[in-house]
Amino acid sequence: MSSLPLGIRIGAILGRMGLRGRTLVIAIPTVWLLIFFLIPFLVVAKISFSVAAIARPPYLPIVEWVDGFFRINLNFGNYLFLLEDPLYVAAYLGSVKIAGISTLIALVIGYPMAYLIARSEPDRRNLLLMLVVLPFWTSFLLRVYAWIGFLKSNGVINNFLMSIGIIDEPLVMLQTDFAVYVGIVYTYLPFMILPLYANLVKLDEAYLEASADLGARPITTFFTVTMPLSLSGIIAGCMLVFIPAVGEFVIPALLGGPDTLMIGQVLWNEFFSNRDWPIASAVAIVMLFVLVIPIMLLRWAQKEKPNET
Amino acid sequence: MSEVISTSDARPWTDPNAVPFLQIKNVTKKFGAFTSVYDVSLDIYKGEIFCLLGGSGCGKSTLLRMLSGFEGLTSGQIIIDGQDQAGIPPYNRPTNMMFQTYALFPHMTVEKNIAYGLKRDGLPRAEIATRVTDILSLVQMEGFATRKPHQLSGGQRQRVALARSLVKKPKLLLLDEPLGALDKKLREETQFELIKIQESLGVTFVVVTHDQEEAMTLSSRIGVMTAGEIVQVGTPREIYEYPRNRFVADFIGSVNIFEGRIAEDGESHVIVASPEAGLDIYVPHSISGVIGQKVAVAVRPEKVVISKDDLGDLRNKLIGTVDEIAYMGDASVYQIRLDNGKRVRVTQTNLTRSEESTLNYGDRVNLGWDGSAGVVVTS
Ligand SMILES: Nc1ncnc2c1ncn2[C@@H]1O[C@H](COP(=O)(O)OP(=O)(O)OP(=O)(O)O)[C@@H](O)[C@H]1O
Ligand SMILES: [Mg+2]
Repeated sequence: MSSLPLGIRIGAILGRMGLRGRTLVIAIPTVWLLIFFLIPFLVVAKISFSVAAIARPPYLPIVEWVDGFFRINLNFGNYLFLLEDPLYVAAYLGSVKIAGISTLIALVIGYPMAYLIARSEPDRRNLLLMLVVLPFWTSFLLRVYAWIGFLKSNGVINNFLMSIGIIDEPLVMLQTDFAVYVGIVYTYLPFMILPLYANLVKLDEAYLEASADLGARPITTFFTVTMPLSLSGIIAGCMLVFIPAVGEFVIPALLGGPDTLMIGQVLWNEFFSNRDWPIASAVAIVMLFVLVIPIMLLRWAQKEKPNET
Repeated sequence: MSEVISTSDARPWTDPNAVPFLQIKNVTKKFGAFTSVYDVSLDIYKGEIFCLLGGSGCGKSTLLRMLSGFEGLTSGQIIIDGQDQAGIPPYNRPTNMMFQTYALFPHMTVEKNIAYGLKRDGLPRAEIATRVTDILSLVQMEGFATRKPHQLSGGQRQRVALARSLVKKPKLLLLDEPLGALDKKLREETQFELIKIQESLGVTFVVVTHDQEEAMTLSSRIGVMTAGEIVQVGTPREIYEYPRNRFVADFIGSVNIFEGRIAEDGESHVIVASPEAGLDIYVPHSISGVIGQKVAVAVRPEKVVISKDDLGDLRNKLIGTVDEIAYMGDASVYQIRLDNGKRVRVTQTNLTRSEESTLNYGDRVNLGWDGSAGVVVTS
């Protein structure tokens, strides 16, 4: 036994514990999700049902042992408050709107890019993909800051446009929703391109040829063959952009104006400025459901599909 | 090998005034430094079933892809129905292609796949539905209309691909290995159907195959390709009986080749002195050449007779030993070893149902062939 390589010995031990091959492969991410997703979620969920207090931590416990009574104090007030104050509903809707529009813009820009990369020479593809992910090598914060330099009234864009005489007065771009869209689309575009590329590169050219052969012009082929066949890439890309964009707060904080209302900022304010952890937690939990429900619907819709035939 | 000629008097290629429906003029296709198709010229007439026959990688698919417009030409010209196809995109060409890989749309049902081309033509719904139903019954796939391609077997997919290319009744139908995945019976039925379709619709077919028997059965004419070039064009009978060179003789059916030199060039025959056969071979109506020129004589195995008895006054006679006997049911194949070691393949039809063959291993036999059986081929 001792002469066996370490890996095999560990494998044998795990095997005796009933963990081999497939189980192990599934077990590792499951444990990972449990530790880093489920437990924090439960902590946040717990806080969202508590009452805020000036204390450390800044909320009252939800389970107590008082005079021989085991008391559970579940406070739904935080959730009711979210409904009462129109600010929150507006912020949710604002986030979904900004994230949704940004996702669409990213799709419209990202799809042709992914398509071109997938259709270029195989040895050029890696270079082009490198260029797509290159911005990740600098800090996200720095890149968003850099946009301030571009968009501000005496920034690069305005200076350029004024110098060639297209405009006389600087355009107000910074601290508008426009700047937020620019920031979000710019930041999340690679997340749209990569899954689309992975999907489109597998698309067999023969389908496009067959479509053309049967009399379809390129535009028809795109809508009847290319797009339906890359649907899973489109969905993956949109999810990867939409989900983080809904919760985004750095970009609206830096580029957005006072009337740019996104739930990520509200959450930040509740947590750090108001130190109202229970409300902040309730905001986070609701946001999670706002995101999870469409995903579940989508998965359900996709599962239904194969049965249609 | 059977031969079905669709209409006995339809031999437009023999008519000098006939205008070809499809003209391929000196077409060459290079991929980088590699020449895939080299200087191919073909005239194909309306209503023909023209088979491109050749080994793997000889450029058959490439030629079809140039006809349908997926590959540009390096040089040359393609004219379909009087119209130069240069610059015409695939979706505007009067062709439909059945792809070697089928290329059925995976996200569409069988029905939708077949209807796809008809929809693009903007046909009314009702007509699309009837045409799809008709073509599905033609390829015996009625019960599979609502399946997706991945729910079909290889042969079923092939039939759907065939149906999809047929349904638009194009002027020129290009089929790339249309029947390869079908079992023998279905293949023969489908071959027959293709001929019927051709007769009823007057569609011109160019069919790629590497199955010589299929080419024989289907085609009005065959073009034999090797290494990107067309080596011979002719009716199945011409190709089989008068192969122009060794490659064609060898590729179509099996053949005995005897090397030799021209010893005598007569009015209606040549005599080829062949040390390999140990014989001066008599060959009629052959190419004339100079005395002493190196040639080869090709003799089909079924044209050689063998017997223990004397063969009478056959033109070309040899003596050998039975080396191998393979019983094939309808025929037996014998390998006869000549005294100089050369082996000759002989096919004899099994006319009677005898338990034992009259010839056995090791028997000394006479073999020979009629004066008209051999054909001179260049190498
Ligand atoms: N896009 C391409 N780039 C480079 N070479 C190619 C390309 N397409 C085909 N070829 C080459 O051209 C030659 C002919 O290919 P083609 O597909 O026409 O053969 P084929 O006669 O159809 O063979 P098969 O019977 O195996 O289908 C092959 O050697 C192939 O490698
Ligand atoms: Mg091929």
